[in-house]
Amino acid sequence: MSDWKRDRRRGAHSEERESRSVGLSRWSHCRKRGVDGNLRSSSKVDGREKDNDRHIEGSHRYPDGRHSSFTTPESTGPVTRCSQQADWGSQVEDDEMRRDVHRDMQRYRRRILGAEVTERERKTSSGSSESNDSKEGDNIETDEAVLLRRQKQINYGKNTLAYDRYIKEVPKHMRQAGIHPKTPNKFRKYSRRSWDQQIKLWKVKLHAWDPPSENGLNEVLDNIEEPDLGDVMDIELDFPSLADSQNASVSLRTHLLSVEDDDCLGTPVKVQRTESTVEADMA
Amino acid sequence: MENSSDDYRIQSFDLDTQVLLKTALKDPNSVNLEKVCSIIVDQSLKDQVFSKEAGRICYTIVQAEAKQNNGNVFRRNLLNRLQQEFKGREETRARSIQEWVCYVTFICNIFDYLKVNNMPMVALVHPVYDCLMRLANPDALMNEEEVDCLVLQLHRIGEQLEKVNSQRMDELFFLLRDGFLLQEGLTSMARLLLLEILEFRAGGWMLSSTAHKYYYSEIAD
Repeated sequence: MSDWKRDRRRGAHSEERESRSVGLSRWSHCRKRGVDGNLRSSSKVDGREKDNDRHIEGSHRYPDGRHSSFTTPESTGPVTRCSQQADWGSQVEDDEMRRDVHRDMQRYRRRILGAEVTERERKTSSGSSESNDSKEGDNIETDEAVLLRRQKQINYGKNTLAYDRYIKEVPKHMRQAGIHPKTPNKFRKYSRRSWDQQIKLWKVKLHAWDPPSENGLNEVLDNIEEPDLGDVMDIELDFPSLADSQNASVSLRTHLLSVEDDDCLGTPVKVQRTESTVEADMA
Repeated sequence: MENSSDDYRIQSFDLDTQVLLKTALKDPNSVNLEKVCSIIVDQSLKDQVFSKEAGRICYTIVQAEAKQNNGNVFRRNLLNRLQQEFKGREETRARSIQEWVCYVTFICNIFDYLKVNNMPMVALVHPVYDCLMRLANPDALMNEEEVDCLVLQLHRIGEQLEKVNSQRMDELFFLLRDGFLLQEGLTSMARLLLLEILEFRAGGWMLSSTAHKYYYSEIAD
């Protein structure tokens, strides 16, 4: 248990630091791409270890052995130590992302405004007097910097084996609200904290579809003593502060494992409960 | 529907490599894309025929990879390799005019084929212009190889280039006019090529039928 807590406290960035120095972190088997941006194949584990070392050795190093580039949460591939991305590969990728975001925005606008028109028509024809102002059209996030940042965060979550397995297993029309993770909508106006929180929770939920690991990960987590969370889960969790949310995600995670151990399916009921408290808070 | 391998001009490779390339076109994830990229770039720098059409095979691999798993390993490797070669272009030119010409042909071919959402790749615009400007320098105009390369690229991608940056195109053509008028020691072929490209651009990136007759119908009379 103590090992576990230490890792969680280090936060998400520890994943990057670990894979930087060694090539394999506890979670790197879930990552679709290695530190050099190359795709990992999910089948080989041991073979992959060697491949990753070779990748790291092959990529450019400074004379003192430091890496010259890393793949960070915000980038879609390796980036240089300074934030200025001088390599053409990254420039083109960034440009492509910018264009994709703009194109997404056009589509989203059309979809929303189209929906609003039908909504209005329906209201007037049915004589409804509701002044229900859910005008999404007025509430679209348009700041390019914000949209790009959000898109990068989404890409990072989608660039996982878990996500690949998830979308293959659960087609969109079969998804149930609350149970199945849903990608946060980057076009809605949210505060920075609210958005970051949604991303965090979404990624935690996606972990339920992590591929089974061969390097003893499950053993380690099995060895953690599981408290009896039955009564605890009945208490409404108060999510807002980040400190609390980290503890909450710990309990969420160990709970997911106990669910697996009990041979229950996926992430249903218990996740749903935490999720509903979050949504009540976010509304 | 399928392009025959002839379209990709891979006959110049040995058989094993041809198999590798064909696999890359159909199933990119099953091969080492970094290696495939290396093979293609290396060959483009040696083989003038291949460098003229290598863009097409690159395009197909990029599309195939994107479709298969949304990846762009090949594209990233390709662009970064192009950048590497670009940085060392002056040395390359000093070492071998032919290799330099192959490089320019290749990067322009990539510019032509590899688009992002139907727009040219921004990262390549200035480098391509830099290469063409180099070809328009006095010392380069003395080599028919380089003049020939220059006008060929302008025929193929001049219009697109002008659209994304007309100012640099203007600058390039200042150099070409100067070269045509003032450069001593130009061969008559070189002067002919320059005159043709000047007319070509002036005509909106096409030749009038009379101009075409002048430059291209040798056989008629």
